[in-house]
Amino acid sequence: MAVATMPHGAADEHGGVDQLYADTRSLRLQGFLLFLISDCVLFSSFIFAYLYMRSSGQGWPPPGISRLDVAFASLNSVILFGSGATMHYALEYWKENKFNRYAFFMIATIVLGAMFLGGQAYEYTNLIVRDHVTWSGSGIFGASFFTLTGMHGFHVSVGVLYLTILLLQSVHGVYTKDKYFGLTAGTLYWHFVDVIWVALFSIFYLI
Amino acid sequence: MHIDAPTLERSIAIVGGIIVAIVSAIALKNDWHSTGADNNVFKLMLALLCIGAIVAILAGANVLGNFPKAA
Repeated sequence: MAVATMPHGAADEHGGVDQLYADTRSLRLQGFLLFLISDCVLFSSFIFAYLYMRSSGQGWPPPGISRLDVAFASLNSVILFGSGATMHYALEYWKENKFNRYAFFMIATIVLGAMFLGGQAYEYTNLIVRDHVTWSGSGIFGASFFTLTGMHGFHVSVGVLYLTILLLQSVHGVYTKDKYFGLTAGTLYWHFVDVIWVALFSIFYLI
Repeated sequence: MHIDAPTLERSIAIVGGIIVAIVSAIALKNDWHSTGADNNVFKLMLALLCIGAIVAILAGANVLGNFPKAA
């Protein structure tokens, strides 16, 4: 295929976006959206399994297990949702060619993501040490809580790493004002992680 | 004046949630007329982010997730 043999990153003779990028951007976007949809299906299957098991049990949480800490979870959720807002503005400033503001919001997103992970680690520690709730020793409650929130935490960890790599790449000039699909994909991924937490926060802490 | 940890956490969650809800609503308003698959997904995500922030505010304010203490 002629397109596949074009040198990567080569600009056309008019100095615009290179042809390979222009030709494949929509395909990359479709591929990335399909990845997010598949991830959404993965989370949905676990969430529906949890809701089914919960509704077929006798009271929730099971006897002997106290309710989760809503106050701390609210704070941690706001931290993660705030990182979604900062990520959105990072991309907007990149589009407007304002690198310093982009870098500020990108770093803020990474820091807030790391803070969320720290909060989750704190919550896990409290649950395991203080309340003796474990993945394998607390029945369906412990298994479903640690599996779903752990899977989400893994996604956030990957996201923090991903955004750090994107920031380093943008510092080294990998992306330009017209060619920044990596940043778009990073923003989509981070928003996805935020939105999944809306569902998890609601089903574990609020109902 | 002594403020316990849950009250402080709830207060920060409410203030932070209001800021995030407003900022995401403004971003959604600014992006409303943008086109393309990625921008449409961004709009959906921003709307859900705004809803999430409102849920966090309600949880922080004890409106949601306010269960009676176990006997």
